[in-house]
Amino acid sequence: MSTRPNAPRLLLTAGRRRRLGAVSLVAGAALALAACSSASSASSASPAAKTSSSSSGATSLASLEKAPTATVSLSETGSTLLYPLFQKWAPAYTALHSNITVTPAGTGSGTGISQASTGAVDIGASDAYLSSAQTQSTPSLENIPLAISAQMINYNIPGFSGTLKLNGKLLSAIYQGQISNWNDPKIAAVNPGVTLPNLKIVALHRSDGSGDTFIFTQYLSKQDPSGWGTKISYGTSVSFPAISNALGENGNGGMVSGCNATPGCVAYIGISYQSQTQGDHLGQAELQNGSGNYVALTSQSIAAEAASFAGSTPASGAISLVNGTNAAQGYPIINYEYAIVNAQQSSATTAQAIKALLAWAMDPSGGSAPSFLGAVNFQPLPASAVAVSEHLLSKIQ
Amino acid sequence: MPVAGLGTLVPPGTRPAPTTSIEQGASPVEVPAAVPTGSGDGTSGGPAPSTGGPAVPGGGSGGTGSGGSSGGGASGDGRSGGVGRSRRSAGRRFGVAERWTRPVLAVCALVPLLALVAVVAALLVKAWPVIAYNGFGFFTHVAWRPGSQYAQPVVTGGVAHPPGASFGALPLIAGTVESSFIALLLAVPVAIGTALVVVEKLPPRLSGSIGLCLEVLAGVPSVVIGLWGALALGPFLAHHVSPFIVGHIPDVPVLRFLKGSPGYGEGLLTSGVVLAVMILPIIAATTRDLLRQVPRDTVDGAVALGMTDAESLRAVTLPWVRTGIIGASVLGLGRALGETMAVAMVSGAVLGAVPHNLYQTMTTIAATIVSQLDSAFTDATGFFLRTLAEAGLVLVVITLLVNVGARMLVRRVASTALPVGRGI
Repeated sequence: MSTRPNAPRLLLTAGRRRRLGAVSLVAGAALALAACSSASSASSASPAAKTSSSSSGATSLASLEKAPTATVSLSETGSTLLYPLFQKWAPAYTALHSNITVTPAGTGSGTGISQASTGAVDIGASDAYLSSAQTQSTPSLENIPLAISAQMINYNIPGFSGTLKLNGKLLSAIYQGQISNWNDPKIAAVNPGVTLPNLKIVALHRSDGSGDTFIFTQYLSKQDPSGWGTKISYGTSVSFPAISNALGENGNGGMVSGCNATPGCVAYIGISYQSQTQGDHLGQAELQNGSGNYVALTSQSIAAEAASFAGSTPASGAISLVNGTNAAQGYPIINYEYAIVNAQQSSATTAQAIKALLAWAMDPSGGSAPSFLGAVNFQPLPASAVAVSEHLLSKIQ
Repeated sequence: MPVAGLGTLVPPGTRPAPTTSIEQGASPVEVPAAVPTGSGDGTSGGPAPSTGGPAVPGGGSGGTGSGGSSGGGASGDGRSGGVGRSRRSAGRRFGVAERWTRPVLAVCALVPLLALVAVVAALLVKAWPVIAYNGFGFFTHVAWRPGSQYAQPVVTGGVAHPPGASFGALPLIAGTVESSFIALLLAVPVAIGTALVVVEKLPPRLSGSIGLCLEVLAGVPSVVIGLWGALALGPFLAHHVSPFIVGHIPDVPVLRFLKGSPGYGEGLLTSGVVLAVMILPIIAATTRDLLRQVPRDTVDGAVALGMTDAESLRAVTLPWVRTGIIGASVLGLGRALGETMAVAMVSGAVLGAVPHNLYQTMTTIAATIVSQLDSAFTDATGFFLRTLAEAGLVLVVITLLVNVGARMLVRRVASTALPVGRGI
């Protein structure tokens, strides 16, 4: 197989892959080996490709957007944060290309990654990038940045309508039960002039696996490296300390309604739910960023933070945008929303359709126009990140 | 068609005798002709009746004759020609049915066994590598640590896992057993009361509508009951019921479980009440059907002897249905142990701690499997997923133990029951 570079591709043709069943795992591994050599050569060349393509980003995106003429049905599953956006994208894209239909589903980032890697869906959606272990087990799996999301820290303190300042050390102490009352002097210390009531803090966390938990715990780990970082660390599901005032909620919707029903709560909620949290009059905290400033969540502060990662996003697209230190007025908890795609598709038409759809999705004059992203409060990718995504897209075949 | 099923189950060799006796009763003249066609039907005798016109009724009834009453009825009808033709085609159908019934029924009988074996085997195969790794500590540890999925996996004892991964299922097992026990404690007395009132006291029209309510309640999807629990019941319990209980319970060792912070409406008590609502109709409907089987005469006799309602209930009615109620309760307990969605919505879903009072947040095995599955998929080593399979296996074993325990209990209770009857 290693002597004939075409062999792995041949294995995948004519639906044999499906029939092979368990054997396909072995074939996948062989393919992975073959893909590894080509991928490594491509990624070593990528810095050059990145710098050259960033100047001619728009033209390259346009060429990727060329849709196939055959009828293609694409399936998408994964992140519930990205799901509302995919729901808007799907009919809009079919209106542009009537031969391509997209069926989105919101199941969770982990399911998106797993089903994209097994081939159960064409596109997985994830708030979290692939771990190195996942990349090792399926080297042809790519995480392609599509847009930029952010996370709110909300609270429900009856009688207090001001804006609270919080940081990772305080939140870490709250989620570990070391700070259990809103009138704690440690909270007052960063909120001079603010009087908080004598009210127990109820720390809400996601009980299901979640990209929101991933970026929130990353923020805690980076701001409190010796505490949260070493004891609990980060992931889509972590062992939240079992404190008496902790509640697990299912989904972002559960976090909003749980926080609304529980005076004293603090919760981390994806920005696409901002209209709900504002409707429920939940407070939204200013967070301390990596530069030490307290910053409110606005489109400007998201864009400032995203721009500060412009040069450092690697060719693989896998990078944490949390708690950056290069933007004085950047909001600290933002992340790329990823499409998870297997670069080795079984059909060239499907591959072309995936490329065309995703290229359109990140195009500021296409799916990343304010009319789409504005509905979920996402921000479009900076040009440098678009270049990384373009390079990743071009590898799909 | 049930006739065909009954007829074909009896071996062909046993047919001639009953056929003959029935035919002798119906039309003695046709007996000699009927016997060969009757005994030769089934696999090869299908077309035979069509050769002899007058013998048709005999041949037809020979095929179903062992059905007893139905055979007798058929031979009487067989005197008209039209029915005779339909019987002829029926004979051909029975031939096909005869050939396929045995294998089809054999497969049907094996499906439940195969399904159980397949489920347990799949869980066992999936969980096998981590059962040894997790060890007995799986049942005694409280920490649920998926480990750092973004760090390089490490291999311990031949099992690859994310660094820091360590799973203890004690809180899940405790939460499952405690919430189901609370549900049973609340539901069984109410269910028996409901059934008694419906059967003994209410006029038929009213008892019919309450029976309908039970069936509708049993059919309400668990996610809807979970929603009610999360939005209405939980806050109500937290604001009104829990503070009342906490305030009126003496601070003594055993009852201390009922003391503590009243919580926020998600936790053990809410889960228990939600589960009780879900298993109430199961237990009540079964008990109602059992009570209807209690012989009227015996109850009337007890009343005639001067017993009050309560006495006849204790001396006659309840002993009669006791084993049946145990069976119904186990049915409800099985549902409560495995209930997933409703519990996931009202338990608080907090891992890593065994609830030490009635109002604390908790989680169950089933709710944890569904809430953690997505995260488990992000673990490239598969360790997390295998651990969930092990948790599933534990749930199967718990359910199995409950069923075996119930059988033993039923046997013991049944042997000491009053001679009036044994219920189901």
